[in-house]
Amino acid sequence: MTGGMQRSLDVLRRLLSHRGALISVIYLAVVVFVATFARWIIPYDPVVQDLTSTLEAPSAKHWFGTDELGRDLMARAVYGARTSLITAAGAVVIAGVVGIPIGLVAGFFGGWRDAILMRIVDVLLSLPGILFAMALIAVLGRSQLAALVAVGITGIPSFARITRAQVLSLRKRDFVMAVEALGGSSTYNMFRTVLPNSWSPLLVQVVILSSVAILLEAALAFLGVGIPPPTPSWGEMLRTGKSFLYEAPYYAVLPGIVLTLTILSLDTLGRTLAWVLEDRHELGEEAEAEAEKARP
Amino acid sequence: MKFGSLRPLGFLRALLLAGAALSTAAVGASAQDLKGGRLRVAILADIHNFDPMQFSGVNFPLIKNLYDSLIEYTPEGQPIPNLASEWKIAPDSKSVAITLRSGVNFHSGNPVNAEAVAATLKKAADPQKGKNVYPTMSIVQDWTVNGPLGITINFKNPVPVGQITDLLQFLSVIEPSGIDTVETKHAGSGPFILGERVLGQRVTMTANAKYWQKPPIVSEIVLTVFSDNDAASAAIESGAVDIIYGGNARSAVRLRNAGYQLIQGPGPLVQVFRINATRGPFKNDKFRQAFNYLMDREAILRVGYAGVGEVTALPWAPASPATDKSYNTRYAFSLEKAQALLKESGLSAAELSNWKLTANGGDQDGMAISQIVQSTVAKVGMNIQLDVKQGAELTDAMLTGKFDAIFGGIGNIQKFPTRVGTNSIYRTTNNPILGNPHPFPAYVAAMQRVDTTLGTGEPVKQAYDNLNKVLVETAFGIPTNTFDIGLIVAAKNVGGITREIDNMLVGRTIGFR
Repeated sequence: MTGGMQRSLDVLRRLLSHRGALISVIYLAVVVFVATFARWIIPYDPVVQDLTSTLEAPSAKHWFGTDELGRDLMARAVYGARTSLITAAGAVVIAGVVGIPIGLVAGFFGGWRDAILMRIVDVLLSLPGILFAMALIAVLGRSQLAALVAVGITGIPSFARITRAQVLSLRKRDFVMAVEALGGSSTYNMFRTVLPNSWSPLLVQVVILSSVAILLEAALAFLGVGIPPPTPSWGEMLRTGKSFLYEAPYYAVLPGIVLTLTILSLDTLGRTLAWVLEDRHELGEEAEAEAEKARP
Repeated sequence: MKFGSLRPLGFLRALLLAGAALSTAAVGASAQDLKGGRLRVAILADIHNFDPMQFSGVNFPLIKNLYDSLIEYTPEGQPIPNLASEWKIAPDSKSVAITLRSGVNFHSGNPVNAEAVAATLKKAADPQKGKNVYPTMSIVQDWTVNGPLGITINFKNPVPVGQITDLLQFLSVIEPSGIDTVETKHAGSGPFILGERVLGQRVTMTANAKYWQKPPIVSEIVLTVFSDNDAASAAIESGAVDIIYGGNARSAVRLRNAGYQLIQGPGPLVQVFRINATRGPFKNDKFRQAFNYLMDREAILRVGYAGVGEVTALPWAPASPATDKSYNTRYAFSLEKAQALLKESGLSAAELSNWKLTANGGDQDGMAISQIVQSTVAKVGMNIQLDVKQGAELTDAMLTGKFDAIFGGIGNIQKFPTRVGTNSIYRTTNNPILGNPHPFPAYVAAMQRVDTTLGTGEPVKQAYDNLNKVLVETAFGIPTNTFDIGLIVAAKNVGGITREIDNMLVGRTIGFR
């Protein structure tokens, strides 16, 4: 087993030793599993209407009832998880692919590059995420891709700033200077030396942004600018369910619960992961200091 | 002024109706049993302005309370006198002589006279100021004042009786000195006087004690703006309001089931699947005609409007003289018939799906019925996307034809049939969706035939039948159901609610039991 793998397993072990994180991981694993294999798990198609069974209360046939078009609410909530997870994954990829290089270049080179890139990031950061996403969707039109891109762009600043901060703390470290002294190019140094040592906060950021992305996608759908029907989405279900609070109070219950638990799980996981990684980092530094002292 | 002799029938009718006016004061009410007080009405949107020519639904709670029109209609569509005590149509149907009621004053104290009617007509004939009345004025050549209480309106061509009475019913008389400022300051003679308006919150109207008819039963009407149906429902259930005006059908049905009164007026809108026949597969006649059978009208009415309304394959309200319910059976939902027409169209599978259904993202019911159609057309091989739009973008798309197909309500369908032409998709000239020249000359000719067929006999019926036949053949608009604008839900102790022909709120006859 390599040292890297050993360290990863160590982090995982310590992460799962926290009860909250363990429950979160189990819950998220269930959500991912059910969303992935929904076709074989749920007996109903989430978009097929049954106009003779509209707004039916929960029953043995429809555990969470049916919506105004006779669609099974459980099926829609399960398939809605796909929408949320795909949006979250896509948004994180976009934010990371764009934000991390920005932060790397800004932090590594400093000077005018840093000033220009960070001002651009500041501009992005100054725009309220949801308003920016709505404006972008107004231009791109309502689709899953548009929602994903919009949410992803709003996540770029956080990745850029965290990466830059990490790079600034590492830039003058011995191992980076050594690579430079040995003739390593800036690109090599950035991507092969600095970046691998910056993963801890970025990993935490991935989890946090996933949570933000799911919430933002749901908010966009709730405001009526999310993914167009009949594609199921938790936010859209909440939005529609709001109109049936009197007739079908159960309508919004399931999407509300799964959305809340998903956000709660991701946040718990992110917080615990940050704590574990920080702890590991500190332990690593302590060990390094001990080794330094012991060095003849 | 050229003024022919009166037709005996028309004169007799006018006299009978003048007599009937005596009994109109308490339309739909047993007024003597009702008590006064403050009437608290929940409305779902703030009013736009005080102009009675702006027939925007949000102004409906005001118009019949602050203003009087020349004539009124009964819920069955029969004209009855109002400010005009009588009206006489010339035998050549090219003019109508109006006699105004004497002793009627505006809220300012100035008399309602022929000069005021002339000033109102001038505003109505102005393309900028005429608002929703302007299109109806297209039949008017000019007008002549005959003394303080007489005015004659001359028409460009002979005009059917229904068009003339529609015009008179449409004209709410405005005080001449207030015409230029009527959007911000009311200038009417109606049963109520504006008290205060708090923008976005409420409008208060107080009873006009000097009203020319029996004064209102209630002393005050308070219109309170609610942000949504649920809030308004909670308000009536908690006793905070006495009436909800203009709420949605679903909430209304729930409240009806809880014991509240649900009053539907005679002037509903008709939901129409509007087709832009200039785009994509919709250029194909057979393809469009298939949609006559692709509308699951029963489901649309049930899901979208909680069953409040009627299915209809023609763009008429039940009170319209052109209504023909046999079309509902003839063009009932049938996938087989639709498939046969799609086959006849000769379009490929890719062409059949080459269109989008624009849907109003801000309208939950509209989204639901659009999804029903999306699901239905999928059963005959059309896999289409919803193009969800909202606000100004949606309005622009609707009024400029930037859509393939879209649902939209149409109004003025309870009166003279060619009034349907005031709705954008049904315009015969300058049609903003279908363009110029109109791509369906048969439709234009059918509308003209209705407009020029005078009298009340078989020729008129044939003209209506012809129009109905052309409407389903051209199939650029596929009606699905009527639905109520101005739906009223009232507490049990409220009585005397008038079923106004345009579903406007008439506060004068309302009181408390």
